[in-house]
Amino acid sequence: MTAKTMMEARDLVQTYSVRQGAFKSASLHAVRGVSFALKAGKTLAVVGESGCGKSTLARMLTLIESPTSGQLFIDGKDATRPDKQALKALRRDVQMVFQNPYGSLNPRKKIGTVLEEPLVINTTLDKEERRRQARDMMTRVGLRPEFYDRYPHMFSGGQRQRIAVARALMLRPQVLVLDEPVSALDVSVQAQVLNLLNDIQEEFGLAYLFISHDLSVVRHVADDLLVMYLGRPVEVGPREKIFTAPRHPYTRALLSATPTIDPHARGQRVALKGELPSPLNPPSGCVFRGRCPYAIERCQAEVPELRDIDGVTVACHRAEEVMHNTASL
Amino acid sequence: MPLLDIQNLSVAFQTRSGVFSAVTDIHLTLDKGEVLGVVGESGSGKSVTMLAMMGLLPWNAQVTADRFSFDDQDMLSMPEKARRRLTGNDIAMIFQEPTTSLNPSFTIGFQIIEALKIHEGGSRRQRRERAIELLDKVGIPAPAKRLGDYPHQLSGGMNQRVMIAMAIACNPRLLIADEPTTALDVTIQAQILDLLLELQQERGMAMILITHDMGVVAEAAERVAVMYAGQLVETGTAGDVFHHPRHPYTGALLNALPERHPGQGRLPTIPGVVPGIEDRPQGCLFNPRCPHVQEDCRQTRPALESDHSTGSSHDVFKKVRCYHPLVAQEQGEVAP
Repeated sequence: MTAKTMMEARDLVQTYSVRQGAFKSASLHAVRGVSFALKAGKTLAVVGESGCGKSTLARMLTLIESPTSGQLFIDGKDATRPDKQALKALRRDVQMVFQNPYGSLNPRKKIGTVLEEPLVINTTLDKEERRRQARDMMTRVGLRPEFYDRYPHMFSGGQRQRIAVARALMLRPQVLVLDEPVSALDVSVQAQVLNLLNDIQEEFGLAYLFISHDLSVVRHVADDLLVMYLGRPVEVGPREKIFTAPRHPYTRALLSATPTIDPHARGQRVALKGELPSPLNPPSGCVFRGRCPYAIERCQAEVPELRDIDGVTVACHRAEEVMHNTASL
Repeated sequence: MPLLDIQNLSVAFQTRSGVFSAVTDIHLTLDKGEVLGVVGESGSGKSVTMLAMMGLLPWNAQVTADRFSFDDQDMLSMPEKARRRLTGNDIAMIFQEPTTSLNPSFTIGFQIIEALKIHEGGSRRQRRERAIELLDKVGIPAPAKRLGDYPHQLSGGMNQRVMIAMAIACNPRLLIADEPTTALDVTIQAQILDLLLELQQERGMAMILITHDMGVVAEAAERVAVMYAGQLVETGTAGDVFHHPRHPYTGALLNALPERHPGQGRLPTIPGVVPGIEDRPQGCLFNPRCPHVQEDCRQTRPALESDHSTGSSHDVFKKVRCYHPLVAQEQGEVAP
């Protein structure tokens, strides 16, 4: 059975204009050339550090912003520049769960009200039916229906994240964009929320776009990986291929920098020098070259194009050497 | 004689609804140049313990201990002034959020020099030179130029480097790092951890690393203490605790790590939540969530006792607070 493609991005670009003084403005490329196809029931993890464009990407995919160029399809329908009515319909299909469950729930609203709000806005259901659906959803995410009249401050972080998931599911979306959904939670609670996400994905056949910086979580949940650096995709492909043999030096560095309790899994550390360059003034050629231990002269002159190496798309001139670990530093 | 010796430390807070004991029965010793990792989830009392050590708790906190000494000086009976000279000079601390721990209204140079002025003295020029030297030491490029920068002009990683520079300014013998890398990106986290360990080794500092990230502790610390609901539940060498956990809580926590189950659907979880102020159970604090609970666990609270059954049994630091610690077979489920 081939699953349906729920979301497809083709060469998405987002450019902001930034004012520098009274008369000067510069353009900032927040996201450049992101393409992927996400199938129902699958999880695509977007990995990268702060400033890599993950959140901008999430805003485009959830139709909060429209891309500067490129195309976006949701469930086969063009969602690049929809008119108002189409937009409203499309938005029901894509819902979002945010990182911080303390900030994303209105402290003045009861849980019931929070859960019913999407139905009030998007459907014509009557009060009774809305209430029934909200209670129903609460049971599904592991909350007791008696909590209906409680306020967010009466819940723990894990429970709040369950509420946030329940709210996102109220409109029965096809795609869930999860922006660091477990990074504010403790390990034992994180496991509970990951299990919940796993269960509802199976139950509703949802497609997940899972944004995270934690590679051990990503390895657990993802089917495919999209690694981003300074707004550009640097490596895209199936999870195990990337985890067993990363082809981009940045992926390699990320993997080796992730702390692990298993001493055998600890590889040789690829230390990165310095920090992310300013996106307003990116280096010429490969944007990663300033921090890359494998950088050669060619990286300065030529922007590496995305190319396919054994099922993984990667943007690096020396990807083959990096992959087989034969590159000389 | 250990550098830091804490026996039976308790911290209680006077609240409107009565006395709440946040931390009870803490025993810790730390030798010169040793790295201790303290792991625990939020609310386990790790930060309160460290703030008690620094004397930074609010007025309604009551700190009691059988023994609480640093370098053989009793910290509890010490006059306030002498204690303040000790903390900041011999004991320094780094906090979680570098951008909120630094004062946004002053340049980083001013803030480093202020610390030097109080504890070290010296002329204005000497202090400035020392500040530049410190910034250089923690890996900030062009340190002389950076002195005039405000915290908002630097990135999170750079601000944490500034915090470290301030903390090591007076050559402390003990550095307490409370979640030093939690707010940072992975590659920056690796840089900061490497820097801390490098400084620790170079100066022979003792270091206490508090974190909820067990991977960080496993990579950085020699000894580990696991906290749960205000108590130490298990202590031991990093290898022992992570590969032969004895306390069911440690075992369950390790088992809940995604890195142990790559690509598998469901993770094993710990049912329930950490008990709060009002719902602390009788007996062992972990008993309502424990898969191996037995009758005696519900009656009386177990003590932290030496454990000689597995691993390196000669290790005196190996202790566990459990009547029925995990045995090799149950640990086997946990080990990868």
